[in-house]
Amino acid sequence: MEKLQEINKHGALNASRALSKLIDRPVDVRVSEARVKKVEELASIIGPEEIVVGIHLPVTGDIEGAALLIFPEETAFTLCDLLVKREPGTTRRLSGLDRSALKEVGNIISGSYLAVFSNMLQVKTIEHIPSLSFDMFGAIASQMITNFAQKAGKALVTDIEFIFKPVALKGYFFLFFLLEQIDVVLGSLENHRKLIKGSG
Amino acid sequence: MECMDIEVKMGDIALAKNADNLAALGIGSCVAIMLYDPKLKIGALAHAMLHHSPTPGHGSADTKYIDTAIDEMLKKMLTYEAKKQDIEAKIVGGANMFSILDSDIGKQNVLSAKEKLKKEGIKLAGECVGGSIGRSVEFCIATGIVTVKTKF
Repeated sequence: MEKLQEINKHGALNASRALSKLIDRPVDVRVSEARVKKVEELASIIGPEEIVVGIHLPVTGDIEGAALLIFPEETAFTLCDLLVKREPGTTRRLSGLDRSALKEVGNIISGSYLAVFSNMLQVKTIEHIPSLSFDMFGAIASQMITNFAQKAGKALVTDIEFIFKPVALKGYFFLFFLLEQIDVVLGSLENHRKLIKGSG
Repeated sequence: MECMDIEVKMGDIALAKNADNLAALGIGSCVAIMLYDPKLKIGALAHAMLHHSPTPGHGSADTKYIDTAIDEMLKKMLTYEAKKQDIEAKIVGGANMFSILDSDIGKQNVLSAKEKLKKEGIKLAGECVGGSIGRSVEFCIATGIVTVKTKF
């Protein structure tokens, strides 16, 4: 678990740096502990009827799961102002261009997090094409929750909060992996270490 | 008379009478199943996530599954002397929020709710299901009226 916290911290920093570069603004990052949670717990983070942009990226490879990026409506609009270079406060709806810009943000954030994850755990992860939904948080979160609840009741859920100016805007990044797969990965890491120690 | 608005969270069920309202907010691939007895003015709402419980009929009352949620709601309503032939059902939800997600959970949920209602001999009075939109429902027990809210 300690190792996971470390990965989580580095992954989050890497992701926030990538976001900061993309929007040319400083981005603060708040990392909560990577925890094994009942997937249902995710539903209580934001109000169920709050309108958000959800970007979902399936992850396959040695470990299977998914990344989900959530931007509350105002955050998504501000991000679009910055990305598409509009006057601040002018994005009030999402065009095709805005949607693909936000998906790209999803790609970059989860890509930079997963790069750290794969590197530190020595596992191969493949990120798939993102899809976007602009709707109630409850509806988006429940889709992810049901997907995972079908396979297992618990998952490793890590959440990262991005905070950026002009006004304090937030975004959330969640990573879902099935518990047993995490165990396998951490176990192999431990064996690997023992082998190195033994031979040295 | 004081009335209450009860929010039914994912995986839960609730029963209400008279002037109370039941609600389920932000429904995606889940389904809200509402049962109503217009004679007695009692109703129940389930906010169920998955279609079949792994071991149906083995005493487990996990209401995140559609079949067990319907069983539990019926059990509760029957203790208030509701009669199965008077009860009518409405279902809302069963969307797929991400086009790329090769998921038919929503569709399966709707199918499974309909099958279970049919099996129990409950009339389906209305539905608002499928697509790729989130929904909220409010179920007014005094009238039996179900209101569906979407973002658009």
